[in-house]
Amino acid sequence: METEEINENPPPAFSNYLPSVAIVGAIFGVVSFVLGLFFGYQQINAEPTGSIFSPLMLSGVVVCLITCFGGAVAVWHYTKEVSSSLTLGQGSLIGFMTGAVIVLATVVFNEIWMLIDPDYTEKLIEATVANVEAMDLPQNAKDDMVDSMVEGVRSSQSVLQQIFWGIPVTGLLNLITGMIGTKLFANKEEGSF
Amino acid sequence: MMKQKWLYFGVLTALFLLVLFSLGSGLWGSEQTGRHWTEKLFYGVCHQMPDRSFTFNSLPMAVNSRCFGIFFGLFAGWLTIPLSYKLTFKKTWPVKLLLFAVILQIIDFSGNYLQLWVNTNLSRALLGFLLGAGASLSIGDLFYNNNSKK
Repeated sequence: METEEINENPPPAFSNYLPSVAIVGAIFGVVSFVLGLFFGYQQINAEPTGSIFSPLMLSGVVVCLITCFGGAVAVWHYTKEVSSSLTLGQGSLIGFMTGAVIVLATVVFNEIWMLIDPDYTEKLIEATVANVEAMDLPQNAKDDMVDSMVEGVRSSQSVLQQIFWGIPVTGLLNLITGMIGTKLFANKEEGSF
Repeated sequence: MMKQKWLYFGVLTALFLLVLFSLGSGLWGSEQTGRHWTEKLFYGVCHQMPDRSFTFNSLPMAVNSRCFGIFFGLFAGWLTIPLSYKLTFKKTWPVKLLLFAVILQIIDFSGNYLQLWVNTNLSRALLGFLLGAGASLSIGDLFYNNNSKK
């Protein structure tokens, strides 16, 4: 007589993760894009004060902080909508994929915005340079800062570069917050993954 | 006994690379035109202002001092997971430490922004280290079975 092993708790299919990953990733991508745009236009329309805390710098800090929490929120969404049981590996996978979706969504929205306001990047560069020039710093420090910021803004024009360079770090940080989400929201399983 | 070792060592390797890459062109060479690849790597997560960054081999790192502290703290905390699980297993203090570190970051950033005080590269790096290490330690016990230690 043949015996058949039945796994009562088969691991969830990969597609089960996708709704949480896609929804949370898209929402965080939109939030990241809108905040970036908001601070970007603030920078463009502001008088150059020479303050180190320019809208562009605030944008970097706020957007980074928010996007890093995407992994934890996606795990929370998964535990609410699909299953409260989750292994550490599954939580980290959800986190990494959410980070990747955030980067993709942000890149897509940025490209769409370039069609709406093609001069946005140049205006942002001009405003950034004007603010740095007004800073009370040695000229070589200003030059370094201008080079760094201008190159940074210009490099964001390349779609492939944004995706290629953006996913690894954002994905890793969201992988870790995905694990934190697993600890906080999930009933941990003892599975191998 | 540790479980999911492949995940632990995979993330450990990734965090080690994260720290190495964040050292920037001072370690990886700057003989190229345009933006260094390490700066491109971290552009999405860090403002990378040279005067708010440490230098390595006389060149600014690819990330600012706070981000470097966070990355180094994540790596150092992750490295100590196998050693510290007896202290962290089923304890709430690592999560409390993480919350405390987050609150400290907000206070430090706000105080500096409102010109109540001026923080330094070192103070930003130390607070970042606390946040990164707290994040790693708070998830460390998930790598151990419930019967590892009661």
